[in-house]
Amino acid sequence: MSGRRTLALIWRWPSLLAALSIFGLLSALLGQTGFWLPLSWIALATPLAVAAICIGRGRA
Amino acid sequence: MGEQAISRQRVYERTPALRRWLFVHKWSSLVCTLFLLLICITGLPLVLRDEIDGLLDDALPYAQVAEGTPNVSLDRVVEASRKMYPGETIISVFVDDDEPKIMVFMASSWEAFKANRRAIHSIRFDAHTGDVLKQTKPFGEDGLTFLQLMLSLHRDLFAGLAGELFLGAMALLFIAAIVSGIAIYGPFMRKLDFGTVRAARSRRLKWLDLHNLLGVVTLGWALVVGATGVINELSTPLFALWQQTDVRAMLAPLQGRPVPQTSELSSPQAAYDTVKAAFPDMTTTSVVYPGAPFGSPFHYVVWTKGREPLTSRLFSPVLVDARSGALVAAVTMPWYLRALELSRPLHFGDYGGMPLKIIWVLLDLVTIVVLGSGVYLWFVRSRASRAQAESAAAMPLASPGAAE
Repeated sequence: MSGRRTLALIWRWPSLLAALSIFGLLSALLGQTGFWLPLSWIALATPLAVAAICIGRGRA
Repeated sequence: MGEQAISRQRVYERTPALRRWLFVHKWSSLVCTLFLLLICITGLPLVLRDEIDGLLDDALPYAQVAEGTPNVSLDRVVEASRKMYPGETIISVFVDDDEPKIMVFMASSWEAFKANRRAIHSIRFDAHTGDVLKQTKPFGEDGLTFLQLMLSLHRDLFAGLAGELFLGAMALLFIAAIVSGIAIYGPFMRKLDFGTVRAARSRRLKWLDLHNLLGVVTLGWALVVGATGVINELSTPLFALWQQTDVRAMLAPLQGRPVPQTSELSSPQAAYDTVKAAFPDMTTTSVVYPGAPFGSPFHYVVWTKGREPLTSRLFSPVLVDARSGALVAAVTMPWYLRALELSRPLHFGDYGGMPLKIIWVLLDLVTIVVLGSGVYLWFVRSRASRAQAESAAAMPLASPGAAE
């Protein structure tokens, strides 16, 4: 918890999750067939899963 | 002096820029939170509206017919509707491409419909047999259905255009809250790892960490749903703009000509078939009668849509002369209506099957937690800083930085 973090480090995870969300939103809209749909579900569910893992870790 | 003591306690530097962002975050959130909570809560059942609609639907079932049974003629359905409601005006006829149903929308007159868009009622026909499956009364006359209540609270607070614009403004504030949240997230996280939840130290710290974590992981989704929400709330003025510009220009040569009477109207089925034949790559969805506010006094407006995942969201109107039945022109849609059409699925979450809807509900629930924790943090912080200011004022001789 010590030391100052750079903005790049602070935003590494959030920007990855935001990019995944946008990809998920668009892949279901533009693809709508085959693997694009499950890909969209996975991409959009990832932020939820990451949050759940962090919360679980905080509790442990 | 008290102020100084408080600011020194913080782990981050309160630069003027950060102060401004904190101010924006606090006030944009506080103003919109109550309405956003209402929008998020009413949005939950709306995500599942097809499922709830199907569950609560008391219509007669569709007739079992042999594969390939053609639809009944729209002319027959229209005639049956006129017989059921003599003297009323037909607003539009909708042919579903998903279920075998044809909907006829009617109102007592065009004037009544223009004065109140909800003064509309519908008759649902079985597309194969022409039997009436269900009738609705004009909006609210029968009492509101659960989903109508949710939609009104979600979209316009029962206040029509004014309500739509007001909730659109609240959605804009929500976007401002997200953007300012992004700006203050960095300074807040200078000394913390991503996803840290300090659950053991204090309730305020735990909820601060949860607010930051849940807010930052959902920001992509929340920005898109917020921005598309704003666009959806602008649909009435955007259609009015189109009517005043493109549509008016198209109809200008016909200005002053006599408007066709009901008895002069050509066959709606013929209009439907004409468009279908002229645009074989498109699905024809509905026929809007001449006189509609977003339409033409002289033409049937036949709406078509594409067949690809993306183009099935994009509707294009085709004008058919309501007297002669001749095809007049396909109207090109301006970019702002295309943007509106694309923002619908991105807001509703109804375009990726049941798993996407469930994810939408979960993300909505997370947003409710972010909003609720935001109010809690504001409440605790303002109480604490008031108490601190009071104790500092009570001890004027305390040395600077004593609170550290």
